[in-house]
Amino acid sequence: MRLEIVLLVLGMTLVTYIPRALPAVFLDKIRLSPRLERFLNLIPYTAMAALIFPGVLTVDTAQPLIGILGGVTALVLAWRKCPLMVCVLAAIGVDFILYLFI
Amino acid sequence: MASKQFKNGLIAGLPVLFGYIPVGIAFAILAHQAGFNLWETCSFSIFVFAGASQMMAAGMYAQGAGIAAIIIATFILNLRHIIMSACVLNRMDDAPLWKKALAMFGTTDESFALFTTEKKENCTVAFFAGVVLITYLSWNVGTLLGAILSDFLPDIITASLGIALYALFISLLVPKISGNLRLTALAVLTGLCNMLLCHIIDSSWALIVSTLLCAFIGIFFVRAEDLREEAHKDET
Repeated sequence: MRLEIVLLVLGMTLVTYIPRALPAVFLDKIRLSPRLERFLNLIPYTAMAALIFPGVLTVDTAQPLIGILGGVTALVLAWRKCPLMVCVLAAIGVDFILYLFI
Repeated sequence: MASKQFKNGLIAGLPVLFGYIPVGIAFAILAHQAGFNLWETCSFSIFVFAGASQMMAAGMYAQGAGIAAIIIATFILNLRHIIMSACVLNRMDDAPLWKKALAMFGTTDESFALFTTEKKENCTVAFFAGVVLITYLSWNVGTLLGAILSDFLPDIITASLGIALYALFISLLVPKISGNLRLTALAVLTGLCNMLLCHIIDSSWALIVSTLLCAFIGIFFVRAEDLREEAHKDET
């Protein structure tokens, strides 16, 4: 392993772990107001929405259809309350078939 | 009790296998193309354990970026973990500091999404540790597989796996908001806000800003019972 890469991994480990662990050290000492708690409870919804859109459109930067049809497949199946694994595998399957034709 | 919670966490984390193994393979292929050898590639997944950052690092390194620039970009991209860890800890039963600090190594978009949408009675450090262990193992198994396979895997398979993580996020979010107009509106608003911001600022910042901004806007129109209804639905 090259020294340069050892330093890169070490640095990335530190700057990734510190933001993760920081709230464990400081959060205990503060009391959360109901409004702040509602804010924190809403973050999972907004974070997931932001992680999905518009990133899903650029799964394949040359072919937006790959992301759109794969995403719609997962959306429809999840809306019909299919299990998580079914939704994910179906989306991969649809994209595989699409790639066979384009 | 703790060991049962740990086992429940392992089971809850299983669907992430299908997201992480493919993406782990994808990362290893990208790292291989960037010129990292097998041990270098695997050491990223063992120590850093952050999918988006590792992908970005491999991409930047391939383009000749310096070590310092990659580390700074990683830090910015991972700032969102402060919010995610705070959310996870906010829902988690109290536990010794060292246990929480250790478990927070495993805060990722997926473990966060799984934990914060989980039933309140499962929100313990043991349950989270179970989720983390299964996600950590699948990420590393995927990386190792990809590092070994990177020379042989046909392009069509690699390309098809690109949708896996998005499909995972969609399947986590949709059941939580379907049937609730205000939460659906909030999710749509966030997506549009993020798309708009992506044109103005870097996409990793756009993600942070739209997440925070729209959650803040949500305080004013999402009612407390929308979130309570959700919690109630969980128990049935």
